[in-house]
Amino acid sequence: MTRVFLSLAVLLGLAGTATAQAPAGVPAMKPPLAAPGAAGVAAKPGEPRTITWEALVPADWDPFKDFKGIDFQMLDDGDPRANEWLKKMRQAWDDAPVNPALVGQVVRIPGFVVPLEDSKEGLKEFLLVPYFGACIHSPPPPANQIIHVLPNPPVKGVRSMDTVWISGKLTTGKTDTYMGASSYRIEATQVAPYKEPAR
Amino acid sequence: MLEIRDLHYAWPGAGGECLAIERLDIAAGRAVFLHGPSGCGKSTLLGLMAGVLVAPRGQVRLLGQDWAALRGGTRDARRAEHVGVIFQQFNLLPYVSVADNVLLPCRFSAARARRCAGGPVVAAQALLQRVALPPSLWPRRADALSVGQQQRVAAARALIGRPGLVIADEPTSALDAALRDDFMALLLEECRAGGSTLVFVSHDERLAARFDERLSLPALNRAAALS
Amino acid sequence: MTALLQIAARSAWNRRGTLALVVLSIALATALLIGLERLRNDIRGSFTQSVSGTDLIVGARTGPVQLMLYAVFRVGGATNNISMDGVRAVAAHRAVAWTVPIALGDSHRGHPVLGTTAGYFEHFAYGDRQPLVLAQGRAFSGTLDGLYEAVLGAEVAQRLGYRLGQRITLTHGLRAAGGDAGGELAAEHADKPFTVVGVLARTGTPVDRTVHVSLQAIEAIHLDWAGGAPLPGVSIAAEHARKFSLEPRQVTAALVGLKNRVAVFNVQRFVAEYEAEPLLAVLPGVALDELWAAVGLGERALLAMSGLVALVSLASLVAVVLAGLNERRRELAVLRAVGAGPRHVLALLAAEGALVTLSGAMLGAAAAAGAVLAAGPWVQQRFGITLQATAPTVEQWALFGAVLLAGMLASLVPGWRAYRLSLADGLTPRT
Repeated sequence: MTRVFLSLAVLLGLAGTATAQAPAGVPAMKPPLAAPGAAGVAAKPGEPRTITWEALVPADWDPFKDFKGIDFQMLDDGDPRANEWLKKMRQAWDDAPVNPALVGQVVRIPGFVVPLEDSKEGLKEFLLVPYFGACIHSPPPPANQIIHVLPNPPVKGVRSMDTVWISGKLTTGKTDTYMGASSYRIEATQVAPYKEPAR
Repeated sequence: MLEIRDLHYAWPGAGGECLAIERLDIAAGRAVFLHGPSGCGKSTLLGLMAGVLVAPRGQVRLLGQDWAALRGGTRDARRAEHVGVIFQQFNLLPYVSVADNVLLPCRFSAARARRCAGGPVVAAQALLQRVALPPSLWPRRADALSVGQQQRVAAARALIGRPGLVIADEPTSALDAALRDDFMALLLEECRAGGSTLVFVSHDERLAARFDERLSLPALNRAAALS
Repeated sequence: MTALLQIAARSAWNRRGTLALVVLSIALATALLIGLERLRNDIRGSFTQSVSGTDLIVGARTGPVQLMLYAVFRVGGATNNISMDGVRAVAAHRAVAWTVPIALGDSHRGHPVLGTTAGYFEHFAYGDRQPLVLAQGRAFSGTLDGLYEAVLGAEVAQRLGYRLGQRITLTHGLRAAGGDAGGELAAEHADKPFTVVGVLARTGTPVDRTVHVSLQAIEAIHLDWAGGAPLPGVSIAAEHARKFSLEPRQVTAALVGLKNRVAVFNVQRFVAEYEAEPLLAVLPGVALDELWAAVGLGERALLAMSGLVALVSLASLVAVVLAGLNERRRELAVLRAVGAGPRHVLALLAAEGALVTLSGAMLGAAAAAGAVLAAGPWVQQRFGITLQATAPTVEQWALFGAVLLAGMLASLVPGWRAYRLSLADGLTPRT
């Protein structure tokens, strides 16, 4: 009757490991998260449709149309007109419209989290943005590249700039708002961590 | 009750065998005095009889069952059911009460508990009375008793549930003369009353008078003869 | 085997003198582990609860965490103020729904004083979008008639025993609660006492320990002051103060609410690019996460240390039991005689160790809970953090279970030794 037992205590499990995260404010702009499959892949009925961020932009919107034909070679450095055009472009981004084809659909999209409302039960509201560091050090994304997410139920353990997949029905926010017509909203039924697909 | 055939035992690391017994039979209900000087293998033989040690060669059968044929856990259970042991001293768990000490074997064997007339607690109390231990001492811790009292409690513990075999290893060596005789009388009578076989080991031949049988270990032990 | 457990319990109790120290050290380790986890949990919960529904906080360009800490939690000091012009510029942005400027810097008997507008009581929310509620009285009017009106947080009113109508004076600067040393060193605004007109209901946030007055009142009490001390020879009586312009020119920070939360980046960028002065706008949620990330390293270090303490205490358990094994060999022989096997002996020793660990762990958990209860009021009063005397969380149970498990495993060491001894000794230990 032989039983072999190890001696000495095992390490105690550490409760709650904070996930390491890159410091906020890193200026590097990573490419938008890749969603497998092209935009508009028809999913099985009842399942959310996986989309990319490009799909959120209506096909006929071109913020650059005013700038075609301007020859930037002709300008001197520091020409105030360059700044003017930049401001105009930013204005165009602020008024970016939503894509009506997608409104009302149940979609699935990956993105970075910007927390808005946290509570004991978990994160109740956050913004989903397409790239890392969309807070201070990069130009803010245009209006149709930000999604106001209300997870139901609230999600725990998600921190600023974490990458997640969200699934839910895409709706639009109130119309009498700052952002031109309206902006995207999702009451997410599912929030899951994002893993880089193997390249 | 007990049958030993062709038993050979050597301690691991020892030079040669310490026990070699060709044949030993002890009938049920007998009181046997096993005599032998110190160091001749008495304790080893007791360990083999109780199933604590297992012989690599030969058979030691208690109630027809060879100890070696059983697995460890079954051996322990069988010992709990059929055997009572009394040591020379330090027989009791010092931090357990007298009454609970007597009950110990019944905790390790349900069959033994069932044999107790009126249940283990009642049987324990009856035995304690028969060994003349005053009831005021029953709830006390075992280490609060004198040596003589402890030996009497040990006897009660060995006898509870009427085991088939009671082994006593020099139980009176630590007692003075007056207590010794009382204890001997007590032990013999209780074994006879319960129908248990008693194997009493000692180096003191003067105690042999009251026993049914006298055996000499050196005579039985071929290994002793050869060494 | 209840019989074995009973014997193990009695055996351990029998040696309680030696084992008491081991129990205490295990208790200490458990108390550290569970207490730290409790603190961590409660602090995070408290901070998260402290602000809700505010989209941005605008202040001087210090750092996001620092701005959050002093604007919301009244912890630390502002290194710089911002101008009301800046606040007005932000308010004029087309995405902004409301702004509430706030001014910090004074205190009353250790409690921070917050100068703000009436909009604070309307727009500020905590927890789960819960608005501030007045338990007694009303908010200050913010007009010149009710210049010296104050609204107290629940903790202030309770601790200092203030009721409606109480007259209080404010102190310049922030002083710790205990150092109520008056006399010449106290820079009191003694000539301009305030009247308590309202008491807020308890929120469990730093609001509870704050005294709220209007921005104009802050200006009024500093009219005849300069650089933190009253101007010598200049004294403006309380009722004359309103004749002066009391519009604030500088504030500490401003809380901002947007019409649509999606616009938050644009407003943030607008604030960052504001040319007239260096401003900073932070999202509270993001700043908090930054804080936790920074603090997280320290937390892990503390947790690791507590884990080490636990290991040490369990090692001492093993050592004590092992040291006592030799004397117990006859005891083990007795057990063999009555029908115990070597595995029972192992189980007995392991059970003893497990029982010692269990008592230590329970004692430690109780001590942690007790410490939280005892320290709760002081922490609430000093930092505005609510320590909850609630049921243990999953993480705390996990820690408790981990200590128990480790103790059981550690007890297998003397158990194994006893097993070997018992096998070798049989009925006749050679001691």
